Amino acid sequence: MQLKRAAASLSTRQRLMAASCALLGATSARGEDGVTAPAPSGLFGTLLDNVTLDSALAYYHENGRIRAVEPIVDVSKVFSGGSTLGVDGVFDSLSGSTPNGALPSRAPQTFASPSAKGLGAGSRTYTTAPGGLPVDPHYHDERVAFGLAWNQPLTRTLGLSLGAKVSDEHDFVSLTTSASLASAFNEKNTTVSLGITDEIDSVKPIGGAPLAGSNYALFEKTGGSKSKDGVGALLGVTQIITRQWISEFDLSADRFTGYLNDPYKIISVLDGGGHVTGYQYESRPDERTRRGAYLENRLAGNALSAALSLRYTSDDWRVRSDTAELRMRWTFAERVRYLEPVVRWYRQTAADFYVPWLDAALQTGTTFASSDSRLAPLHSMTYGIKFAERMGDASDPQASELNVRLQYYRQTFDSPRSIPAALQGLDLIPALNAIMLQVGWRF
Amino acid sequence: MRAQTLIGALLAGASLMNAACSPLGVRPWQRETLAREEMQLNAEPLDRAIDDHLYFSKEAAAGGRSFAGGGCGCN
Amino acid sequence: MHAQAQVESTIERELRLEARGREMCAVCFLAMGSPCELLLPAMSGTGALALAQIAAREAWRIEQKFSRYRDDSVIAWIHAHRGELLELDEESASLIDFAAHCHELSEGLFDITSGVLGQAWRFDGAEHVPDPQAIERLLASIGFEKIQWQRPRLMLPEGMELDLGGIGKEYAVDRVHELLALRTSMPFLVNFGGDLRANRPPQWGPWQVGIERPDSDREATMVLGLERGALATSGDSRRFVRYEGRRYGHILDPRTGWPVPQAPRSVSVAASSCTEAGLLSTLAMLKGAAAEQFLAEQQVPHWVLR
Repeated sequence: MQLKRAAASLSTRQRLMAASCALLGATSARGEDGVTAPAPSGLFGTLLDNVTLDSALAYYHENGRIRAVEPIVDVSKVFSGGSTLGVDGVFDSLSGSTPNGALPSRAPQTFASPSAKGLGAGSRTYTTAPGGLPVDPHYHDERVAFGLAWNQPLTRTLGLSLGAKVSDEHDFVSLTTSASLASAFNEKNTTVSLGITDEIDSVKPIGGAPLAGSNYALFEKTGGSKSKDGVGALLGVTQIITRQWISEFDLSADRFTGYLNDPYKIISVLDGGGHVTGYQYESRPDERTRRGAYLENRLAGNALSAALSLRYTSDDWRVRSDTAELRMRWTFAERVRYLEPVVRWYRQTAADFYVPWLDAALQTGTTFASSDSRLAPLHSMTYGIKFAERMGDASDPQASELNVRLQYYRQTFDSPRSIPAALQGLDLIPALNAIMLQVGWRF
Repeated sequence: MRAQTLIGALLAGASLMNAACSPLGVRPWQRETLAREEMQLNAEPLDRAIDDHLYFSKEAAAGGRSFAGGGCGCN
Repeated sequence: MHAQAQVESTIERELRLEARGREMCAVCFLAMGSPCELLLPAMSGTGALALAQIAAREAWRIEQKFSRYRDDSVIAWIHAHRGELLELDEESASLIDFAAHCHELSEGLFDITSGVLGQAWRFDGAEHVPDPQAIERLLASIGFEKIQWQRPRLMLPEGMELDLGGIGKEYAVDRVHELLALRTSMPFLVNFGGDLRANRPPQWGPWQVGIERPDSDREATMVLGLERGALATSGDSRRFVRYEGRRYGHILDPRTGWPVPQAPRSVSVAASSCTEAGLLSTLAMLKGAAAEQFLAEQQVPHWVLR
């Protein structure tokens, strides 16, 4: 009895399967209301699936100094396994006047732009008016860079990232490779990542690399190309705290060895009264180790969200820096538009071999010295605003977007101590004011 | 100097907080706000790349957030 | 009135993209009175929304065409022409054919004409149990065998009603699954209010599907790993009536007009198509005490909660 019933019931399922196949087979034969099943797309179609293109064009302008145009394009594709490939390209075009490291003086000063021809006839010279900051007005450089980034999920909670970058400009070529592993815990609320990076650079200064610490007038050059290498490591933790708050903390360290000088920077050599007696090429150590800590918090409200980040770095050149940046986003018009103001504060202390000028009487020629303002004690402030308009669904993180961004960057320097008599009243290290305007398009 | 100590303390405290805060978090179906573009830790990557390039060429500190990867001769 | 309807349709037609962890995303929308979602591996939002639009449009199309609550549906048209011989389109005819087959192989347990019982029964959790005589009168209007059906022609006698609610959602899941399978090779899972179907598992392992406890919407009782195929659930978690201290589910036996005695709280069945899984879970509920035995005989994966 039971067997017979089982047999009859089994046919229930078989009959049901047949009936549902008939239903689903019959209704799929044609589309209804124009919802026809499209023919599978060809190779080109599948190639363009899940591809995002992000591009921007930035124009940078310093008051009386450098101007730059920088287009950048980034294309990324997500593959069906969840892995991502990103390819990006940058082109930089810079021109204008760049400070050469010398100090303003009450007398006019004449210098030669970097070239192979020395300081004599045939070289391009420029003269700085009395009281003006010596800047080389013939500065021009173009840079092309490409990057590759590959992201591969290994397991549900483990991911691998690999990256490579190549950059080429007139006097500098760089290759960077990186790899990192990220592991997620705690229902993916916590992620820990560890990464390493390796960079090898080759510098071929225009006109040859000057002998470090040597007299500018003697034009002593060494060798052809110089190199420097760096290795770095990064340990990062990200933590979701609440539904509206996510946090990230990173520790980083890197060490560079090799040719770390700026081959074009010179230091003014002054006598006791403050008059220029000559110039000297700078000389930096051939090793630099840096450590950094970084904390970022992102919070979201309804229409308002904020990102606050803090960073501290220190290195064995005795440069310490603090950075704080606050970015707020106000989303309106049903999440189609947003406005994003930003403010950034930055402060750094000087490298221990930074000197605004050298004293002629105390020159030894063997100690490290540089008057590069980037190693000076400085404060900088950035104020910026971005406006964006999205096309398509506004809640989609990858929606098409058109945006425009304007930033103002100002760098100010502490006045040096004990200014010699001849230089009193001169603005020895003038502030830097720069504007950046950028338009971007993503789809 | 005092600002520096404050920032250092905040960072140290934050690292402790992160270590101790593992039970914190949300369930998988509670991530709708975190999915927004402005809540991604690597949001606006092109803007960050352009900014990083500017700060790398004008300031002594670099990166710290990810591999800023110098890769240019501007410092 | 017109503007209100427009507003409602705009709200109704909203797709919402959510992240589900780092590697999965979901596009959610409302259709057929249920929260619906399409689960995909994390990918570009425009890609996910493009697929979800296909899914949502098909779900809304089926809802508009077959819902008995809409006056522009095929069902409403049939109801407006009772007593007349009507010629149905291919899709409607196939659904009626399917209902006819199910009526036969379930020996009358599954019956799309049993919707009239909704006039007597209100499953709002209250103590209201209808008058037995009212139910007797309604039984006269129930019985698929009373319909004249010869494909493609249908004649619905006066007083009778058709209700495709028992198969509409599962059918929509299958249709959406097929449309998406032709459009993408990515793994996806279509979930219309608990009736779901996946084409293949994502890279990180089977889809994690939870079955709700019938009387609490907090923790899922159990989490199943679904690689491919469909899962459908029949349950009484929200619609029931209490009578004399006992709880009666909303699954009514069309032969008696009363809720099935000793019906399980919830039945979930896995099968290759959602239509099949849905039918099996409905039939199991209608078998009441014999639900487990019925499903064991069908040799399908099943989970019965009492």
